[in-house]
Amino acid sequence: MNKKQVWIFILLIVILCFSFILASLIGGSELKSAKAVYYLFHPGSYGIERDIIWQIRVPRIILGLLVGAGLAACGTVFQGVLRNPLAEPYTLGISGGAAFGVTLGVVLAVSGIYLPFLAFAGSAISMFVVYAIAARKQFSNPTLILGGVMLNFLFSSLVFLIFSVSRAEDVHGVILWLMGDLSSAQNLLIKIIPVFILPSLGLLLVFSRDLNILTLGEEKALHLGVNSEQVKKILFITASCITGACVACSGMIGFVGLVIPHFMRRIVGVDHRVLLPASCIAGAIFLILCDTLARTIIRPLELPVGVITGIFGGIFFLSFLMKSKRWKIF
Amino acid sequence: MMDILKVKDLTCGYDGREIIKEISFSVEEGGFLGIIGPNGAGKTTLFRAISGVLSSWNGNVFYKGKDVSGIRPRDLAREVAVIPQVLEIPFAFSVEEFILMGRFPHTGRFGALKEKDHEILEEVLHLTDTSSFCGRKITELSGGEIQRVILAQGFAQQPRLLLLDEPTSHLDIAHQIRILDLLKRLNKKKDLTIIVVLHDLNLAASYCDRLLLLDDGKVHKTGSPQEVLTYNIIEEVYKTVVVVEKNPVSSKPYVLLVSEEERQKRGSK
Repeated sequence: MNKKQVWIFILLIVILCFSFILASLIGGSELKSAKAVYYLFHPGSYGIERDIIWQIRVPRIILGLLVGAGLAACGTVFQGVLRNPLAEPYTLGISGGAAFGVTLGVVLAVSGIYLPFLAFAGSAISMFVVYAIAARKQFSNPTLILGGVMLNFLFSSLVFLIFSVSRAEDVHGVILWLMGDLSSAQNLLIKIIPVFILPSLGLLLVFSRDLNILTLGEEKALHLGVNSEQVKKILFITASCITGACVACSGMIGFVGLVIPHFMRRIVGVDHRVLLPASCIAGAIFLILCDTLARTIIRPLELPVGVITGIFGGIFFLSFLMKSKRWKIF
Repeated sequence: MMDILKVKDLTCGYDGREIIKEISFSVEEGGFLGIIGPNGAGKTTLFRAISGVLSSWNGNVFYKGKDVSGIRPRDLAREVAVIPQVLEIPFAFSVEEFILMGRFPHTGRFGALKEKDHEILEEVLHLTDTSSFCGRKITELSGGEIQRVILAQGFAQQPRLLLLDEPTSHLDIAHQIRILDLLKRLNKKKDLTIIVVLHDLNLAASYCDRLLLLDDGKVHKTGSPQEVLTYNIIEEVYKTVVVVEKNPVSSKPYVLLVSEEERQKRGSK
């Protein structure tokens, strides 16, 4: 890491801490800010404000942090391995598969503990299809994204099929959740998601140097000593695990995985040893701030955070594309 | 001298279509072999099979007596560097980052670079005349510049065997000569074995010790440039009229092409 990158990391961590504090101080119920600050830094005290901050807001912020980091990491990895600027869990249909698994589970009244596994099973199906397309020697990049878009169509149709034959009460929660929602996650899930996501992120980081070399293409990577097939599989499966866990907790949150890696590549460069952690932190910041907005913008009601990330991410990305002179976003 | 690379009865291809048919040859340590042949003769396929990308249907490739399919990629990459004809690089790595990737098989998991790695970077930058590209992004370079940087990356691997597929295809004549001179120098001084696919018969004649002429997936002829580049062999394989003269400077064979107009003029006489 050079000096500039170190400073960017320090800045990112400061922004992350600031976002964390900001997000825990404002929300649906108004707390006096001085009091809120007191309770935030005294988690051992008693009172309704303390409970609001430490039992409602903080777990949700941690969830946002993990999901944001996870999705951004998956986007970075998929874009790198597939050498495709449009790859991310959402466009590859992996989120769609996970969403289908969870919807099926909710409608069949499966206990919440098993939802992450259903999400993972769904994402595994999509991952398998995407991998099969990508493994064919003469596949082209547009084909891959087209395949992902088709998978998403397929799975969302299946989700709608389930909706149309279910009672409205059963599926209302799922609909909100599908739009990307950090509020519906159960406490138990919030306790187990770090167990899924943190080791997976660690594993991705361990392979970040191999990922650098894989971006030169599988053949060149092989000649430089990377066991391309094996590394690609490890990265694919790990990223799909993360995606499955994220979707199980928070539904379909688009754009974090797509926009954050592009943005961070501009700032810290393309070396994945630096890019991957930087994207994680930036993704966490982005999702925490978007969720804060989603919680407060139409107080006391809440918006699904996926709506906010979609609007912000979309506008941001389109303006970015219109400004860049060539269609060269890497 | 020991054979560094030995290819035995190699057969392979794509999608059930056989491209390379029972090819056998070997290269001595310190040799400089040129693979030549017309379009579609299977040069690049042979190259890919030797470099381990394409698995063989039949037959084996041995590196220093060991079957390459049984050598771990990382171990092989410390000994063999492969320079492909085209390399699409989608990410904007800096030139230094890119060349240092050549150190991958020699460094640890997170690639902490030692003094030696930086010395090697300086050395290969100097060798390939690419020092002036430092600080630039790889995506900003022209085709010929990228080709030299890819070569620098290959040298950074510090290989014993260098495989190159048309290394001069995007280069102007000055850089063609400079790169081939460099290869020749490393071949002579450091005993680096070189196998190179070349299109240009005259470049092949002036630099390679031995030539392997491929035709329709088979070895048509191997031998010294004088043995391989005769007008009847070339006319048979390339199906075109040529005149082979002696290069007045190097006294290696020199292939002259004859245009249709000239052929008719001479034919009518």
